[in-house]
Amino acid sequence: MAVGIDLGKPTSQHLLEVRDLTTRFYTEDGVVHAVNGISYTLDEGETLGVVGESGCGKSVHALSMMRLIPIPPGKIEKGEVIFKGRDLLKLSEEEMRHIRGAEIAMIFQDPMTSLNPVLTIGFQITESLQLHQGMDKAQSRERALELLDMVGIPEAALRLDDYPHQFSGGMRQRAMIAMGLSCNPSILIADEPTTALDVTIQAQIVDLVKRLQDKLGMTVIWITHDLGVVAGMADRVNVMYAGSIIETGPVKYIYGDPHHPYTLGLLGSLPNPEGSMGVRLYSIPGEPPDLVGMPKGCPFAPRCTFKVERCLHEMPMLEEIEPGHLAACWEKDRVRRV
Amino acid sequence: MVNYIIRRLLMVPLLLFGVTVLIFLMLQVLSPVERSALYVRDIPRNERVLEGIIKRYGLDQPVHIQYWKWLMGTIDPQTGDRQGGILRGEFGYSRTASQPVAEMLARRFPASLELALLAVIPVIAGGILLGVVGAVNHNKPLDQFVRIFGIVGWSFPDFVFGLLLLMLFYANLGWFPPGRISDWANQIVQSPEFHNYTQLITIDSLLNLRFDIFWDALRHLIMPVITLAYLWWALTLRVTRSSMLETLRQDYITTARAKGLSERTVIRRHALPNGLMPVITLGGNTVVGLLSGVVIVETVYNYPGIGSAAADAAVNLDVITVLAFVLLNGFILVMANLIVDILYAYIDPRVRLD
Ligand SMILES: Nc1ncnc2c1ncn2[C@@H]1O[C@H](COP(=O)(O)OP(=O)(O)OP(=O)(O)O)[C@@H](O)[C@H]1O
Ligand SMILES: [Mg+2]
Repeated sequence: MAVGIDLGKPTSQHLLEVRDLTTRFYTEDGVVHAVNGISYTLDEGETLGVVGESGCGKSVHALSMMRLIPIPPGKIEKGEVIFKGRDLLKLSEEEMRHIRGAEIAMIFQDPMTSLNPVLTIGFQITESLQLHQGMDKAQSRERALELLDMVGIPEAALRLDDYPHQFSGGMRQRAMIAMGLSCNPSILIADEPTTALDVTIQAQIVDLVKRLQDKLGMTVIWITHDLGVVAGMADRVNVMYAGSIIETGPVKYIYGDPHHPYTLGLLGSLPNPEGSMGVRLYSIPGEPPDLVGMPKGCPFAPRCTFKVERCLHEMPMLEEIEPGHLAACWEKDRVRRV
Repeated sequence: MVNYIIRRLLMVPLLLFGVTVLIFLMLQVLSPVERSALYVRDIPRNERVLEGIIKRYGLDQPVHIQYWKWLMGTIDPQTGDRQGGILRGEFGYSRTASQPVAEMLARRFPASLELALLAVIPVIAGGILLGVVGAVNHNKPLDQFVRIFGIVGWSFPDFVFGLLLLMLFYANLGWFPPGRISDWANQIVQSPEFHNYTQLITIDSLLNLRFDIFWDALRHLIMPVITLAYLWWALTLRVTRSSMLETLRQDYITTARAKGLSERTVIRRHALPNGLMPVITLGGNTVVGLLSGVVIVETVYNYPGIGSAAADAAVNLDVITVLAFVLLNGFILVMANLIVDILYAYIDPRVRLD
């Protein structure tokens, strides 16, 4: 899977290549193993879904790439994040600032809290434009207007000087998207952008991003705990559990032929599309593990219905099932979709 | 914003009405004899004269009429002059200061104002600045230093702190003199060549280019200022630090960083306006605290401001003078609240636009 064979040298044919990214938090309760050596690649124009239950390290993985985790208590222990041939983890803070917002933009889960309540929407958008594109006030306002228009905010000209509290939740997320897209980034990381919204609004936002992606040709990393959302938009999916990628592959394999019991569980908790009565097949019993002091063996073992003796002692590595489709499970050949 | 300020200003007379009614009701606890001191220079010894005064000034009339007269004063039936009336600035005669309360206030208020203004400097510089610095450098050595500083400051009762300073610098070292100004300097300040632009000696002495007097005034002020400021300084430090820490954890700060803004801009533009909101509220409380603080501090350091006069009046049961202070305090509180509210609205659109 790793294409850059010349180890350690930050070259990659991909737009983004993450290698062995490991992030921990040194808290008073112990060391939180939030991200445990994840690797993947992303090509231009692709959409990657990152899926997993709450607390499995999805956000920390994204924030680590942007170098936005709080240090201390956080620490990026090792790994490389090679973007356009440069290892982001080795850049100076100054160089990194030219990447953030300009090359890689990020939007967040809760549009209610991720906009600054004391600054106008217009200001928060023009700020990026003035910073990265060297626009003056008038130019950036003009562009902000276009952007708000593009993300479907009615009467954008009148809303530019509104404050976040004067926007509805859906509108705020649209404004966040406008903000994220303002400098034409190569990659947009959307960290659960629809979780905090009503179902109908969720669909609108998903639609909006899909439309914009077709129009602008961006690469998207879509983080969610909802496999249903990802099914309709992603090319590939990383399934994360306890800070590791436990299954990855093209979206059709992940849905059609999953080989990790956890993926199966996530799919099982989806409403069955055939049985229009909305029957849930089954949901995963138990809780995700505490990431402090990780146990030996497979982290999913305690909740796994397929587990064997070996799972308790040895951590399985990602292994190929078919080209581009990998799963980390000792019993992966037994795991089949029912 | 303008609308908001106007609405808020309209509240001021209402609040002041409340304050005066409250004080007037307190006044009713006094006997007419004591209340007569509002109008005459001393409590008369002769009972017949006294009755005359009570009659003349209507001190036996219904409460609402008396309230009106207390506010506006009364016409002396013999001379036709209007006398008394707190709205006319006539607060009566101060027994303890041996002069009309208004005169006493005019003379002593600048001294207290100077003290309070100087005390605000360490509160802002030491409190807000150090608090922000601590929060921004969270868990780094600088923050630990700030935190210890704050805890030590906060855990000392202020009178203990004042007494310690007094023992060390006055009794043992004799570095700082009590009072407001030395005699030699006072003679110059009172002389016609010295221009009293503001009545604040530190500022006036600089404007008169008398640096020796400036230094003398400062030497007198340093101990009272430190004693007065230190509790509020420590409190402001704590509130600023924890509020900024909380703000820096907010999602919109991550958003701002994710835009590629420099940390400086993130803090100045995105964190400070939000993080300082609780500090503004505390600022209102600080004004209240400084008001009661001057009473103790001025007494301890024998500083001739309104605080020591109030203490003097209270000890000698000079009710008329004390009430004038209550009124003055009420006025300052209402104004402080007004300023806090306006600042809040200025920073927070959610307040301003509701
Ligand atoms: N600042 C921090 N200090 C300590 N631990 C942290 C910090 N941030 C995250 N963690 C821990 O890292 C782990 C991964 O968190 P992360 O936010 O990445 O989860 P997530 O997959 O994004 O979950 P969600 O779906 O709830 O957003 C969690 O156990 C969390 O408690
Ligand atoms: Mg998250």
